[in-house]
Amino acid sequence: MPYHRVLIASANPLFGQGLEKMIQRQWKNPQLEIRRVDSNEAVLNEMQNWSPDLIILDYDDKTISRAEFLQEFVAGDQPMQVMLVSLKSSGAVVVYDRRTLTPAQAEDWLNLPKFSQATSEHPPIQRRSSMKHFVIVGVLIAVFTAVIYFLLSNIPLLPIAASVQAQPIDELFNLHFFMISLLFSLIVVFLGYSIVVFRHKPGEEEDGAYIKGNNPLEIIWTIIPLGIVIYFAYLGSVSLAETRRADPQALEIKVVAGQWFWRFEYPDYGIVSNTMVMPVNKQAHLKLTSLDVIHSFWVPEFRVKQDTLPGENLVRELRVTPTELGEFKVRCAEMCGTSHAYMESPVIVVTQAEFDQWVQDQLAALGADPVARGEVWARNNGCLSCHSVDGSPNVGPTWKGLYGLTHELTDGSVVTVDDEYLLTAIINPNAQVPKGFAPGVMPQIYQDTIPEQQILEIIEYIKSLK
Amino acid sequence: MKGILSYGILRGLIGQIVGWAAGIGLVTGIRALMGLAYKAEPAWVVGAALGIIGFLIGIGAFRDWFAWAKGEETPDPEEIHEEPGVKRYFGYSLDHKVIGVQYAFLSLFLLVVGGSFALIFRVELVQTGMQWVTLNFFNTLIGMHGMTLIVSILMGISAMSNYAVPLLIGAKDMAFPRLNAFSFWLAVPASLVLVSAIFTGGFDTGWTGYPPLSIRAPMGMQMFFVAVFFAGWSSILGALNLIVTILRMRAPGMKMFRMPIFAWATLATSIIALTATQLIGTSFQMVSFERLFGMSFFDATKGGNPILFQHLFWFYSHPAVYIFVLPGLGIISELLPVFVRKPLFGYKWVAMSSLGIALVGFLVWAHHMFTSGMEEYLRVPFMYSTLLVAVPTGIKFFSWVATMWMGRIRFQVPMLFIIGAIIVFLMGGLSGPPLGTVSTNLHMHDSYFVVGHFHATMFGGFIFPLFAAIYYWYPKVTGRKMNDLLGKIHFYMLTPGFLIMSFGQMQIGLLGMRRRIADYDPAQGFETAHLIITIAGFMVALSVLIFLINLFVSAKRGEVVTENVWQSRSPEWTVLPTPAPMHNYPQPIRVVGDPYDYGLKGARYVEILPQQAGD
Repeated sequence: MPYHRVLIASANPLFGQGLEKMIQRQWKNPQLEIRRVDSNEAVLNEMQNWSPDLIILDYDDKTISRAEFLQEFVAGDQPMQVMLVSLKSSGAVVVYDRRTLTPAQAEDWLNLPKFSQATSEHPPIQRRSSMKHFVIVGVLIAVFTAVIYFLLSNIPLLPIAASVQAQPIDELFNLHFFMISLLFSLIVVFLGYSIVVFRHKPGEEEDGAYIKGNNPLEIIWTIIPLGIVIYFAYLGSVSLAETRRADPQALEIKVVAGQWFWRFEYPDYGIVSNTMVMPVNKQAHLKLTSLDVIHSFWVPEFRVKQDTLPGENLVRELRVTPTELGEFKVRCAEMCGTSHAYMESPVIVVTQAEFDQWVQDQLAALGADPVARGEVWARNNGCLSCHSVDGSPNVGPTWKGLYGLTHELTDGSVVTVDDEYLLTAIINPNAQVPKGFAPGVMPQIYQDTIPEQQILEIIEYIKSLK
Repeated sequence: MKGILSYGILRGLIGQIVGWAAGIGLVTGIRALMGLAYKAEPAWVVGAALGIIGFLIGIGAFRDWFAWAKGEETPDPEEIHEEPGVKRYFGYSLDHKVIGVQYAFLSLFLLVVGGSFALIFRVELVQTGMQWVTLNFFNTLIGMHGMTLIVSILMGISAMSNYAVPLLIGAKDMAFPRLNAFSFWLAVPASLVLVSAIFTGGFDTGWTGYPPLSIRAPMGMQMFFVAVFFAGWSSILGALNLIVTILRMRAPGMKMFRMPIFAWATLATSIIALTATQLIGTSFQMVSFERLFGMSFFDATKGGNPILFQHLFWFYSHPAVYIFVLPGLGIISELLPVFVRKPLFGYKWVAMSSLGIALVGFLVWAHHMFTSGMEEYLRVPFMYSTLLVAVPTGIKFFSWVATMWMGRIRFQVPMLFIIGAIIVFLMGGLSGPPLGTVSTNLHMHDSYFVVGHFHATMFGGFIFPLFAAIYYWYPKVTGRKMNDLLGKIHFYMLTPGFLIMSFGQMQIGLLGMRRRIADYDPAQGFETAHLIITIAGFMVALSVLIFLINLFVSAKRGEVVTENVWQSRSPEWTVLPTPAPMHNYPQPIRVVGDPYDYGLKGARYVEILPQQAGD
């Protein structure tokens, strides 16, 4: 605020002279008038007749009666401010405005002599230097925000976006990253600045500034974050709606999850596959279900995720429109037991022409040979997740050379692996567990989930693995 | 023999073994009478439960109550003078300070156990493929790591609130000293039952125990359920005790808004613990009964619904994270003014923000279920309520920063951990909103990002403040200060180690690393990141080892402290001798001012009440 008339009141001539010089040097205001007075009477006189807009009062000067001064100060209606300057105790400065001075402050001030010891440090709100702190902090926050946001945008944080649904999600991610940069900088810069600037110096016994709080500030930092989070929730709803936009022409794929495999059924073509093949730029309408426990369908490049639930009445859906050709993987994201980590299947995005060709190949592949058909069923039902066909060890016994073998069982008895034993082992796996394998690992569901003809063909396939 | 048995904990352990055996015998006997063969699971479940009761009988937790039932008189807790010395920490004591220290030891013990589990599976994750544990053991370890540390955290917050709250509010003890001891000693056998899960087959569900997987899991699952059930009971009783203590036992003149801020945080926490813990007990009990009795609560083929479990489970387990962090945030607000030498900025706002978090925390549980397949229309309202939590949390951050502004900050060891807590909790807090908005959550749910986010909130909201609290109140307990140099080494190893670990987890999570997997696809290229995370994890572990050495060595060799070592204004430092005497304040005190008037000369918080003549 540009002051025009400044009155300096002090019985100490050095106080007035020094201050006058300093003001003239610092403010560089040609219209500035400064007067100096050194008695109580003169102060009151000048206040009434000259109407200064700022009075600088020597707080340590006992010759000036505060009660009288205050009475005069609050009574007038011309704009006027008083600055109390104390040289004795730590150079404290406090400014009061005639229009805003509250009775409580006035009372405080009058009572000061009595408690001058107790409160001498109480009002030192160093406005000018405080302003300086805020400017530096503001600049640092801007710099930090820019740097952190640059880093977050440039280190790899997300896999490539390969679906239409990934677009709105990535846009929201980007906004989140910016907000994180800003808020992180805001707190950390204030914190770091305080740590550097307001640190306790060795030998110093004083406490910090006596500031207990500020309600308007608290309201501001309640309301603004409230607005921000509501806005983000709104954006979240909008992008969620975009990921769920349905295309009536969508290709339906039934996704069946089980311990520990994925199976993909294409009801339009009558194909069952353990690889998910999708035509590019065509929405796939996934209907997800599970045979045993909860699994979760997640292709990170597609961004969207949905748990699969056991139960015919609990089929859930997900819509994915792949935009990038290539091979991805669906990875089970819900803890589902022993081999959860390995519950991954290829997801291949191809052109429409390639997709059509794949459909033809699949239909042709199901020839009449029971061994070949059995191999398809074994793969589609996840048998090969736990049983190897090349003799390597796995969760279950290998199928290579299994047929005709003599098994020792966990209860000590011995059986020969024939058709009948294999059938039992598939539909009632805990009845006769071979030694070295734990009971209860193989799901006891296949009697219901695989048609008997297919089970017999799987057995044919096992027999063929010599 | 007699001498050894004077240690209560040993009598308790014998009681637990006897009870356990009796439970197995009881079930097997009844089944034999019914002509049924021995079946391990029901026998062990009843055994584990009776074992816990046996422990409590062995240690004497029921002694006074049995005496009253027989019509005998027992001395009032205030009249009991326990022999000072290390021995009373190993048995049944009614002194809240002893119980607080006992809680702290149980917490640190479980922290070491649960942390060691993490080190084992972190080593396994350095390379793709399985090197030194089996899939099932890995899966058991992650669930054990989770639940062991959750119990450790519950014990840790009980340690802080049991030790500090009565001292801070000028009370002689907790409102119900016998119940207090009972709550603690309930948790000890429960913790042992939890650890026994490893030896009874383990479980492959993670700490969440979702059915139907938890219905098919090995028997370790049941030990896990029994342990959580009893640890939850301990938590409920402890919360009840704290609420009554805070509402009824404050020193004269201590109006609610003159309470130390930590008491507010404890009050908010205890309200959640008292009202929500039942739900996790119920949900686990239902799974347990489904296994034991074939009740088909969660089986869709028999009319149940697996989603129901998740609602019940998260109705506790989300508010539970506020149970875990609110006391820690309270510690930050409590200690910050002491070391900044400035009043806590916006005391009432900070106090109310704790209650605000507690209240909003009850309305957000389904954000754990955005991808679960619950009713889809629930997702958007739960997104709004979830993001609202950011508002009271923001108030705390802004108030802390404003408290530090223009202070005279002293960087003693507790203050280092307070600063670490603020930064780490900030990292945890800011990684929350992307998880809260549904569409981004669809990508991040059940990924390693969640692991990073959760660990940042737990370290910032609990681990760092716990360490700060231990360094701060250690002289009050032992009369000695912990070594400063070791404290600083602890801090400067823990903080960067943790930040690297947590950021690494978040990054690979976003890139597609799933949580709870024993092995990962080499094609994803996460090996380097996992190596760095594991090294950082070992840095964290090593720093904790240094802390533990400091903790034990300083008890004998630390610098002797008799006065107000931190120049705190809190009553336990200004008017109470160090170390704190039994039954706390020898003379009654009165509150005559605000708790954090640093910078105001001549201001006082408490004074010793003049003894009235003829009293």
